[in-house]
Amino acid sequence: MNGFIAFTKKELCESLRTYKLIILGIVFLLLGIMSPLTAKLMPELIGSFLPEGMTMSIAEPTAMDSWMQFFKNVPQIGLVVTVILFSAMISGELSRGTLVNVLTKGLCRSSVILAKFLAALLTFTAAYVLCFAACLGYTVLYWHDPVSLLPLAVFALWAFGILLIASLLLGGVLFRSGYGALLFTGGFTVCLFLLNFFPQVQKFSPLRLAADNVSLLSGELAASDFAIPFVICGLLLIVFLWAAVSLFNRKQI
Amino acid sequence: MNDYIEYLPFLIPLIILEIALALTALVHVLRHPHYRFGNRVLWVLVVMFIQILGPVVYFAFGRGEE
Amino acid sequence: MDTLCIEGLTKKFGAHTVLDEISFTVPEHSVFGFLGQNGAGKTTTMKLILGLLKADGGQIRVLGEPVTYGQTKTNRLVGYLPDVPEFYGYMKPAEYLKLCGEIAGLSKKEIARRSEELLHLVGLEEARKKISGFSRGMKQRLGITQALLTRPKLLICDEPTSALDPVGRRELLNILHQVREQTTVLFSTHILSDAEQICDRIAVLHQGNLALCGELSRIKAQKSANALFVSFASAADVSELTASPYLLPYCSQIEVQGSCLTIRSTDIKPVQQAVLSALYGKGLFPLKMEIQEPTLEGIFMEAIQ
Repeated sequence: MNGFIAFTKKELCESLRTYKLIILGIVFLLLGIMSPLTAKLMPELIGSFLPEGMTMSIAEPTAMDSWMQFFKNVPQIGLVVTVILFSAMISGELSRGTLVNVLTKGLCRSSVILAKFLAALLTFTAAYVLCFAACLGYTVLYWHDPVSLLPLAVFALWAFGILLIASLLLGGVLFRSGYGALLFTGGFTVCLFLLNFFPQVQKFSPLRLAADNVSLLSGELAASDFAIPFVICGLLLIVFLWAAVSLFNRKQI
Repeated sequence: MNDYIEYLPFLIPLIILEIALALTALVHVLRHPHYRFGNRVLWVLVVMFIQILGPVVYFAFGRGEE
Repeated sequence: MDTLCIEGLTKKFGAHTVLDEISFTVPEHSVFGFLGQNGAGKTTTMKLILGLLKADGGQIRVLGEPVTYGQTKTNRLVGYLPDVPEFYGYMKPAEYLKLCGEIAGLSKKEIARRSEELLHLVGLEEARKKISGFSRGMKQRLGITQALLTRPKLLICDEPTSALDPVGRRELLNILHQVREQTTVLFSTHILSDAEQICDRIAVLHQGNLALCGELSRIKAQKSANALFVSFASAADVSELTASPYLLPYCSQIEVQGSCLTIRSTDIKPVQQAVLSALYGKGLFPLKMEIQEPTLEGIFMEAIQ
């Protein structure tokens, strides 16, 4: 346990001193501000693309539009940036041999994986909370219409982000290289997208946690429709972490 | 003109953050002369002119060993 | 009890057998030199002792406890200095030692005291910059600091001197010599003079087998007989000397090189007597005459023939 705490502290220190935390924080904060801005600008943007003299009635933007932008930007940019920044978590240490010293000091191998997971989770959560807070602040300031089930939708996207981080760890242990981890997580996401072509799978896929948030807000989907994806996401998370730990236990360093 | 004032609460923090991001990366590029690939000029251009993704790509792939 | 005991250790990388059933023991408070050419399997053996690699056969015991691969409990007794120690470059030396100490479960007070003591021992007490700015020699010294932090019963150093300049090498050997009172040292090297200076026991690894193993003084005494070296002003004197009847019993042991000759024997006294009698008999005057002690280099070269 000592080792786990010490290594988690080291990981957080690394996040801070290698600029991971600040980059991720700034990017997510940008997304949090851009989302309501884009929603607000949308009518004018569309208007400027229309030919001269033509008029079109465009509905005034609402809080819903702001959250639509949020749930488009965070998965498309935020999660991609997160995955890129954390891709070298395992491979960086393996290729440089920095783990040799700490492992021979008696650090448990499972602690390495779990501490990295916890530190990445905390870093990502901090950035995500910033992003959400900024978006919420602007949205509440400019629009007053209520949006239902927002906490669940926001939590679902967070859970999907955590799942991606776990898949990065497994990819890193499997392939020993940052690009390998990136490919593994990318491949995992592509698989989820391909599986989504089957309507029967859509109901179960954890992809719903990151793709159907707007449907939840608009009322097309009920909260209960997210139950199974949440369970699957949790199971996958445990499987990824367990696989990463047990593979890492057998790894020659 | 009114239009711009309406967007200022968005634009000011956006611009500050963009500049902060680019500057963080720029300072790092200039202070660490070793890169995994590319050279200083390339990375200066990338972090200055590619919004958001430029600094991210630099910190993830471009920076050399500590 | 022996600090380290290795029995029938085997390791293969694919079809290539790196270690073929090697066995040796390292007694307490000894400085054990592990010799061999590059690629002989020294680093592999060390990583096996640390449980970083999986053995294909045999057993390793540290203070009687078997070493297991993966979760290696015995590592709490062991300090390891890798051949190229790698650190987290964004940390300062004291921060890095704190991390190591916390992982090993030392108390805050103990970490602070040990860090200060050891940084002083290796001469890094003034280095307050980040490790990324360290030279190779400074990293090596920080490496030995982290290896000694937990007061290990066994200190394993992989080629600790190979990257250092002569001054740094001297200092590192001194440190290893100093710590032998507190711990047992196993270190690998291909620099024979280093081993000769501080080791009391050696093992020579060659093509996956131990070509030689034991106490250095005993090996020196029994291995590679002593030799008497005589040099003359001209080669004619040499042939005159070898023709002397006094030297007849030793004629198979005589090696002639130009105007010098060497006579090898396990018992050097009678040889000396015979040579002196022969010189006196023939009225010859040598330029130089000396007894040659066996060197580690000679032993090493002989062992890996």
